[in-house]
Amino acid sequence: MVEIAGVSRVFGTVAAVSNATLHVDRGDFLTVVGPSGCGKTTLLRMIAGFDRPDAGEIRIGGVRMDRVPAWQRSIGMVFQKLALFPHMTAAENVAYPLKMRRFDPARIPGLVDDYLALVRLAEFKDRRPHELSGGQQQRVAIARALVFGPDLLLLDEPLSALDRKLREDMQLEFRRIQQELGVTTINVTHDQREALVMSDRIVVMEGGVIQQADDPVSLYRRPENPFVARFIGVTSMFPGRVTAETPEAVTVTAGEATLKARGGAALGAGAAVECAIRAEQIAIGPRDGAPRFENAVDGIVRQRIFEGERMVYAVEVPGLGGAVLNVFDHDPVSHSVYDEAQPVRLEWAARDLIAFPAGPAPAVTTEHKPTGSLTT
Amino acid sequence: MRGSLSKRIAIWGLVWVSLITLSLPTLIVIGASFTAGEIIRFPPEGFSLRWYGELWQLDSFKAALARTFYVSAICTAVSLPVGTLAAIATVRYRIRFRNAVQVYLLLPFTIPLVVSGISMMIFFGEIRILGQLWPVGVALCIINLPFMIWSVSASVNAIDPEIENAAMNCGAPPLQTFLTVTLPAVMPGVITGGLLMFILAFNEFLVSLFLTDSRTVTLPVQIYNSIRSVITPDLAAVSVLYIAIALIAVFLLDRLVGLDIFLRSK
Ligand SMILES: Nc1ncnc2c1ncn2[C@@H]1O[C@H](COP(=O)(O)OP(=O)(O)OP(=O)(O)O)[C@@H](O)[C@H]1O
Ligand SMILES: [Mg+2]
Repeated sequence: MVEIAGVSRVFGTVAAVSNATLHVDRGDFLTVVGPSGCGKTTLLRMIAGFDRPDAGEIRIGGVRMDRVPAWQRSIGMVFQKLALFPHMTAAENVAYPLKMRRFDPARIPGLVDDYLALVRLAEFKDRRPHELSGGQQQRVAIARALVFGPDLLLLDEPLSALDRKLREDMQLEFRRIQQELGVTTINVTHDQREALVMSDRIVVMEGGVIQQADDPVSLYRRPENPFVARFIGVTSMFPGRVTAETPEAVTVTAGEATLKARGGAALGAGAAVECAIRAEQIAIGPRDGAPRFENAVDGIVRQRIFEGERMVYAVEVPGLGGAVLNVFDHDPVSHSVYDEAQPVRLEWAARDLIAFPAGPAPAVTTEHKPTGSLTT
Repeated sequence: MRGSLSKRIAIWGLVWVSLITLSLPTLIVIGASFTAGEIIRFPPEGFSLRWYGELWQLDSFKAALARTFYVSAICTAVSLPVGTLAAIATVRYRIRFRNAVQVYLLLPFTIPLVVSGISMMIFFGEIRILGQLWPVGVALCIINLPFMIWSVSASVNAIDPEIENAAMNCGAPPLQTFLTVTLPAVMPGVITGGLLMFILAFNEFLVSLFLTDSRTVTLPVQIYNSIRSVITPDLAAVSVLYIAIALIAVFLLDRLVGLDIFLRSK
């Protein structure tokens, strides 16, 4: 449906988007996620036709978009700041694309009512945007983007201004409407949770470069590089070196510890690696407990935060060169609580430890770290 | 509590003093215009509409009034499209003469009106239109246009540039976008500016003095001419006419734009 091939856009010395290649299938919900300034809006503006790529090609439904101006593209867009027409009522806003696209005037009122009903705003149709709440304005913008039956829907962080409860409601609302209408959608966000909840596929961007494109579960389970591993989920990293490798498993020494990691990356013995382990994959327990997983290191609790459904620990591990690991403990069995400065043992399965080749990895922006991350 | 009470007294005192000093001359003129006597004085001698009647009898006054309306209408009609487009262009687009236009916006405060008046008199004389009425309207538009541009610029600055992208995304080509989205969004500024231009032209004296003669004299010049001979209460009546027109303008502004928007100058 949408194909983006080698697209770049440079502003002065800033490469806002570099050589981006991706495709979206008909009816799919694709989310582009990445930290602030990584080029998400720039990419979307080029797809919508407000900006042109310096290199590369954008095709929608098989048609090259180079010479198609924005107003001739069948694209509905919900803008970051909504951009409703302030001098029109909700109904007039929704009717606007129908008028501009020369729909049969007799059909317009019916369509407007249908779509206002779809976003549950029927009784607010005669209000101006400034007489509506943030969430209601949001829904007018959604109705306006969808009413003419676009081939493609673009969402530029339309939920970022809302409070958390409303945002989560709207995420589900978007998903419901998108599935009901089956419209191909590209959504942009810097909220990894939103990306995981809403999408069929996720594209992770950083510094204008696409890092990985995958379905949510694969992206979460099999990040392809340290940036993705750190950006999605709460992940602790520490350096190590490969001592032995089989197709099934990699043996890594890190500090004084010898660890088993997931195989398959063909790193080569002696290679320097970055090891990544997710907070929820680590089991925390007393040092004298029976071993549960292949990997075990001893540490000292440095910080403890109670988040209700789980306990979040930051554990310093002297044996890993003093690395601090984040641990989520959901322990349904023992209800043990470990205090600060208490010695503990951390364990995890070999398949959950990922060894990435160490290298000049892209700098990780920490400003959008998810909740529960204590240290980096 | 005491502190806030004395603060309130101080603030309200200031408000009232300002209101009274601002409105006192107006009130005196209004009072004086209703006098039944022969000279302007306050408090008036008795109450009558005599001087309004005399004013209405005066053909020279009626003609001058009509000319003033005509000149102001021309001034407003020219400034609406020119000022609106100029304002949108200078604020929105990185046009070539942007700096020149911005310097021009400061001109009314740097060039004395006498100079503008003389130079326009010479220029109009050269191209042989001096002595006609419509060039006066154009001249008033030229000297006051910056006010129009300012007024519209304020509106242009307040709109979210993204709404034009939104219009295009809805399928509107550039001209439609301009007509259906940009223009309505700057309408408050256009109306405010238009009323301002009308009032300014209606009141303008100095430049009109240079550009009019006895056949094309406008009301402010006419008033000036008559106070040089003898001051009668019909001048107070004319002043009341001016006050009435100013009030009508404010009323229209409130109706069309909403005074709250204007006062917040969004
Ligand atoms: N018109 C422009 N002129 C110059 N630089 C620009 C322009 N637009 C974007 N940039 C730069 O390009 C980079 C990408 O910007 P973009 O707006 O695409 O980021 P984003 O991923 O949408 O960020 P956010 O999540 O904060 O909205 C940034 O470094 C930005 O400063
Ligand atoms: Mg953005």
